[in-house]
Amino acid sequence: MKDKRMTMFNFVRGAAAILISLAVGTVFIFLTFLLAEKHYTFGQCLKNTGEALRYMLVGPLFKKVGGFNTMGLFQILAAMIPITFTGLATCVMFSANQFNLAGEGSVMAGGFVAALCGIYLNMNTGLHAVVCVLIATLVCGLILLIPALLKVKLGASEMVTSLMLNYIIQYVVLHFLNGTFADRSKGSTQTFPFQATAKIGEIIPNGSKLTWGFVIAMGFVVLTALFMYRTRWGYAIRMIGANQSFAKYSGMKVGGVIVLSQVLGGMLAGMGGSIEVLGRFNTFLWKELPGYGWTGVTIAILAKNNPIMVPLAAFFLAYLNKGCALMSTYCDVPSEMIDIIQAAIFLFFAAEQFLSGYRQKLVVKNTRADLMKTAEGRKV
Amino acid sequence: MFSQLMSMVLTEDFLFSIIRITAPILFAALGAVVAEKAGVTNIGLEGTMMISALLGMLVSYWTQSWVIGVLAAIVVGILLGLMMGFFYLKLKTDIILAGIAVNMLGGGGTIFLLYMFTGMRGNTGALSSANILIPTINIPLIDRIPVVRSLLSGHSVLTYVAFLCVLLVWILLYRTSLGLNIRAVGENDHAASSVGVSVNRIRYIAIGISGALAGLGGAFMSMYYSQGWNSGMVAGRGFIALAAQAMGRGEPVGAMLSSLLFGLAQALKNKITGLSGLSSYNYLVASIPYIVTVIGLVIYAASTMKKVKKRQTKAEEK
Repeated sequence: MKDKRMTMFNFVRGAAAILISLAVGTVFIFLTFLLAEKHYTFGQCLKNTGEALRYMLVGPLFKKVGGFNTMGLFQILAAMIPITFTGLATCVMFSANQFNLAGEGSVMAGGFVAALCGIYLNMNTGLHAVVCVLIATLVCGLILLIPALLKVKLGASEMVTSLMLNYIIQYVVLHFLNGTFADRSKGSTQTFPFQATAKIGEIIPNGSKLTWGFVIAMGFVVLTALFMYRTRWGYAIRMIGANQSFAKYSGMKVGGVIVLSQVLGGMLAGMGGSIEVLGRFNTFLWKELPGYGWTGVTIAILAKNNPIMVPLAAFFLAYLNKGCALMSTYCDVPSEMIDIIQAAIFLFFAAEQFLSGYRQKLVVKNTRADLMKTAEGRKV
Repeated sequence: MFSQLMSMVLTEDFLFSIIRITAPILFAALGAVVAEKAGVTNIGLEGTMMISALLGMLVSYWTQSWVIGVLAAIVVGILLGLMMGFFYLKLKTDIILAGIAVNMLGGGGTIFLLYMFTGMRGNTGALSSANILIPTINIPLIDRIPVVRSLLSGHSVLTYVAFLCVLLVWILLYRTSLGLNIRAVGENDHAASSVGVSVNRIRYIAIGISGALAGLGGAFMSMYYSQGWNSGMVAGRGFIALAAQAMGRGEPVGAMLSSLLFGLAQALKNKITGLSGLSSYNYLVASIPYIVTVIGLVIYAASTMKKVKKRQTKAEEK
């Protein structure tokens, strides 16, 4: 009974946080129309805002003239692939209280390494893609050894080093993309196309880009959850996150576990980047950090660092992202709306005291109910 | 090539550019110092700089006055700081996450705001004109002394303010009762609260001041440094400022020295990018400031570690 009420409370709280965030977004959409050069009347502004909201919230899955948009669903599921991985990566790192923000850079590095392997290695179909992903994963794990070791050995803030690392990775990748590995026969900056053997194929070949990567991603959701909640390493990671001193004095190798969590985070993010690049594109063409790392942080917060909840959060953000893109195409509201909504979600969802008055009332109610029960029990 | 570089570095122009490049990092680093002294890690500096840079620029365009623009940037910085403070202190959001949220607003939110207010996408190129940019000051007499003039004369008003702020922040922290309270709260908030200091009020003030300083840094970027706002403008300076704070041991003067180091790295990067023989390495060169930041942090962390160990062994010997 008690647990049920608290679960209910957590659900209401999460829903309220998301609703407030959407409301904040709505205000900004309204302001966009109000301040637009076309001088809409107040009524028109309201109507346009409604239209924009419809595209953002309903558009991704339902066509304008009724009917379910199956293709839209496939595209949303496809968009979940990289952010599921970065979400998992962030969960693992944040669980150990390591604010490593290099998921962003790892995605780019992983994608680039996988692309190079896809271009320059010769292997059989199937095996080739696996090898590309594995190499990329390993490389990213090694890269994140840097902030992890600096933290453990020297006490340098992993947050600052990882943020700097993102910029360094970006520029190193751009250097090789523009120099050694550039395909100069093309107008834009890109590498040569991957060999067909390295491509990760679509589950149903319909152009939605929903590749087998999605299945792998869901597999890793389960694996990460098992690792975090069913192994001693996962337990150590969560224990260090909950109380580092306690973990230390109960004999855990804190340093090793901190390194482990960050390296695993790097590997997961790198894997996500490599699968995204090999699945979605035919060549490597990211000219800046793709942003999946930051979305991963939002996902970890929505999932409260619980890997099992990551797909749900990833679906929500992929849906919202597509909605914002539609809104920007049809309603002249910039798709960067998603960042404002994400920021609001961040602030409210992670706020422990949000609706705390309501929780207090619930606790009082629960205690009263319990007392009544014990009293009744005594009577009998 | 090396001699070419040396001849470029050993110029007054290079000295001037170090000072110019250091100023925005210094503002943000001082902001980090004040917040950290009160026990608050403000990683929202980056986003605060972006947002106040944009709104400062826009306000100065609307009012055609750079003074009002700079003031607006400060106010925006304070408001963002207080917003972070509200979520951190009142609703108990993790301060790091609140900071990331502000950075998200700074990344995509600014592009949205720019479009909302002006219908422009990505940058304010068309807006900038001389009277809405921050003016420079030539100091008489000094502007005739070689070398010294590039350090002291011809800089923008805000550059002087930045270095003046080092002194002001030092006075604030070490010569005022507010500063004493800020340090007490950062050192041990329970002890501070037990002698009647309102911990939350002090932290609100500290994070507000931190935001104001970051706001100045933002105004410097859009209204002087790049003469207009664009979406990639701040480019990690807020994060570098955090490193400068750590390397400067959380002290205003130390933060200034490490900001100068990062300014030097950035200036060097700008110079090397201009060299003709090295153009194929431009991207690698662009990563120099960030690499220097990491190296700086490592050296600082290693030296503190050594000191701590020395102290421990000494204590054991006794």
